[in-house]
Amino acid sequence: MKAALFSPVPYTGPAPRGTWPVPGNTYSAEVAEKAMQDSLEQFELADQLGFDWVTVAEHHFAPMSLTPNPMVMAGALTQRVKRAKIALLGANIPILNPVRVAEEFAMLDTLTGGRIIAGMLRGTSNEYVTYNINPAESRERFEEALQLIKHAWTEPQPFGWQGRFFEYRSISIWPRPVQAPHPPIYMSGSSPESAEMAARNHVRLGFAVTTVPIAKPSAIYYREQAHAHGWEPGPDDVLYRVGIHVAETDAQAFEDVEPSNSQPARAAGFALSNRVVDDTAAGLGYYGRDAATQRDRLQRGGSLRERIANGQILCGSPDTVLEQLKSVRDELGAGVVDMVFAGGSRDKNLKAIELFGKHVLPRMHEL
Amino acid sequence: MVATAQAPVRFTEGFVEAGGFHIRYLEAGSGDPLVVFHGGGGLRQFTTHETLAEDYRVLLFEVPGFGDSPVNDRSQSMANLALTMGAAISALGIEQFNLMGTSFGGKLALWLAAQQPERVTALILAAPAAIRPESGGTALPPPTTDAERLARLWAHPERQPQPALTPAVIEKQQALGRRVMGPARDAALEALLPGLQVPVLVVFGTLDKVIPPEMGRIYRELLPNCAFILVYDAGHQVDGDRPEAFVALATDFLQRKMGFLVASESGLRHR
Repeated sequence: MKAALFSPVPYTGPAPRGTWPVPGNTYSAEVAEKAMQDSLEQFELADQLGFDWVTVAEHHFAPMSLTPNPMVMAGALTQRVKRAKIALLGANIPILNPVRVAEEFAMLDTLTGGRIIAGMLRGTSNEYVTYNINPAESRERFEEALQLIKHAWTEPQPFGWQGRFFEYRSISIWPRPVQAPHPPIYMSGSSPESAEMAARNHVRLGFAVTTVPIAKPSAIYYREQAHAHGWEPGPDDVLYRVGIHVAETDAQAFEDVEPSNSQPARAAGFALSNRVVDDTAAGLGYYGRDAATQRDRLQRGGSLRERIANGQILCGSPDTVLEQLKSVRDELGAGVVDMVFAGGSRDKNLKAIELFGKHVLPRMHEL
Repeated sequence: MVATAQAPVRFTEGFVEAGGFHIRYLEAGSGDPLVVFHGGGGLRQFTTHETLAEDYRVLLFEVPGFGDSPVNDRSQSMANLALTMGAAISALGIEQFNLMGTSFGGKLALWLAAQQPERVTALILAAPAAIRPESGGTALPPPTTDAERLARLWAHPERQPQPALTPAVIEKQQALGRRVMGPARDAALEALLPGLQVPVLVVFGTLDKVIPPEMGRIYRELLPNCAFILVYDAGHQVDGDRPEAFVALATDFLQRKMGFLVASESGLRHR
């Protein structure tokens, strides 16, 4: 199995919660600068310890994540992370200029000598407010942008694109990706529509903000759909993102995590911080044909033990966490686990990363 | 006669004599002439042509040997057939014209432009068959039913209901196609392309199941004045599968030639 360290690059100072977009009147540049350095420190440590990937993501207008353009953060990482792959999970391609996305990924792939993982996500419902795009068209925009980006990476002659949502008369990007034919692509795949699209376009699938029991049927459905399209996903084709904390003992790990786990806003997450926005997007059809399941998985709370049992967080000693990782692999066939260290403080996170790197990672690589 | 009741433009049928053939054509609209050569399935009129006829004098020619015309066993090559079509256009008193061809008609149009470049103002090649993979193209078996034939050509066959062809007409058309189509890479034609100054728009659908869309890049390499555009979510019948998208592209190209690479629509949202 492969290990990825994900940081959304959270703002660490006081800020309003349970709302979106989050007003900037309490914003401190100093805190943000420090938060970015803290995340860079985590990424660098993960690279030194032998993590396979480091991961950045795109979120807008909230302190939960200070990387509205993950390409910029990845650009910084190209100069700090020497060995691990740099995953962008992802660019929210339906709200972006796909040609620009293709160019930026190609730049990063060139800067890293071919160490970029190109995640392309639809983004949460609120992201559609960010650049004023109708969420009802998110899936159609996504699939068209995905195909356009692949063409932009691989077409050797200048070409134009007469799409439904995107129109260009002449595209010929420089630089071009190092990896041939192009960097690996992941998309998020909790809904049946996403699993079908991923299978049809032969791209990899990632699960985030979910539980193992909810993701399991989706992983099975993805494999069935891929088989119907003539290919079989391998372990690297399925990624599971999860919170994690590791301490010397189970008791210590639970004690560290318990206070932050009790904050209800954490479980409510990002999309549901503005109920009007999410309800409206849902009404426009953003969630697709199993909307109830998709919205339900975003607000799964529960006790720490329930969350561990559901695979929403990995928590415990190195031995315990290794068993939890095995369970994720066995249940979902996931070969990549993308982990957000959630120990509650900078020092606890660094210690947990170190423990994981020394005592879990070598054995995880054997799985 | 062919146009549907709700169509704003009515095509009328005519015949013209050229090269010893009695050649049928459908005509509508006024303005600069736009001559259209059909694909290997024969002359089909669809909404694309009606919309183009709002701005152009559109002439849809039926290549001798297609449709209800007699068997054509005299045309021995595409180059030769192209000269026949050029003579038919002249016989209508048209000296200069815009030219568009689909698939089989794309190769025919390119041969005409290559031999009479001074007559062609602008050339649109829709999924042209002039350059094909030397391995023989898609590995799909030939379609056997009308439904299969439509599904092979169109990504959205339901949008453009078409009359079925009789087996006799299909066989007659295919026999001519086999005789004149020429090799996958036609050296005689390709030798003429670097010197052809006519502005050329090459269009392929991303879902083309007959000719791989990446063939478009070879035209872009060989022709000095060529744009290659992919129409997303369209099949081999790229001129009809997404008619609005195709007509917008074709019209912009015909009006502005290679200048169409530069956007000219306002991005202003509110004044």
